Amino acid sequence: MVTIMDVIKKRRSVRNYKNKKVEKKIIKELILAGTWAPSGSNIQSWKFVIVDNNNIKEKIDTFSPGLMGNPPNLIVFCYDKELAYEKGGKLGRDELGKMDICMAAQNIMLLATEKNISTCPVKSFNSNALKKILKLPDYIDPVLIVSLGYSDKQPSPPNRKSVDQVSFYNEWGD
Amino acid sequence: MNDKQDFFKLISYMVTSARGCIDEPKIYGSFRLLDSVCKLYNILEEEKLIKDDKLKEVVNKIKDNKYNSFKNKEKFINALDMIIVDLVDLMD
Repeated sequence: MVTIMDVIKKRRSVRNYKNKKVEKKIIKELILAGTWAPSGSNIQSWKFVIVDNNNIKEKIDTFSPGLMGNPPNLIVFCYDKELAYEKGGKLGRDELGKMDICMAAQNIMLLATEKNISTCPVKSFNSNALKKILKLPDYIDPVLIVSLGYSDKQPSPPNRKSVDQVSFYNEWGD
Repeated sequence: MNDKQDFFKLISYMVTSARGCIDEPKIYGSFRLLDSVCKLYNILEEEKLIKDDKLKEVVNKIKDNKYNSFKNKEKFINALDMIIVDLVDLMD
């Protein structure tokens, strides 16, 4: 039986994809997993723009230096900053909305991993260019891109700091 | 047309990187410069504007090592130091 820990450890950031699109039905399942992530004050200001059009994908690629390996699908994670502010104030707009996106992205990447679909989160892109390419309204900001596709190449895991190095009980240093 | 597209993409990549590198980790700057070298060499090669086996060998070393910028900084720096020496040799 595959455990959640197995999936967590199996997930890698993949930058080399086959030329095969992920089926829309599967992408819908992935987005569903994203919408089940925790959301501060349950605002759910996230919006997901799925890109599989080659022309649009190429435009995004051109202005996203962090995007590599010619992925067949992209999910552009955006958030509605007006809604986040209206419901969550400054904290909602400046922090919670983006934190929600991160948690949704992790859900999506883990479910993708379980389905043998490779992913890579990408932050190195130009927001203004993406807003123009995707025709996003002013109140919608792109926060993260996750590339998505099938790959034969599974990079080896990078070194991880040990649990003892990064955790303490009750007080700093213990 | 394709060559113009590739060239346009390279220019856009470099300009976008110039903006991104202001806020991004410092090491990304090194990676983007090396990635630009690889992209530029590919364009020149595809357009048959360059044919130099020794330089290609150096570019291949860059391709092999550029991702070490994220994974193994020490290995990345050592490889870059050796690649620079290779480039000096190519000047003779």
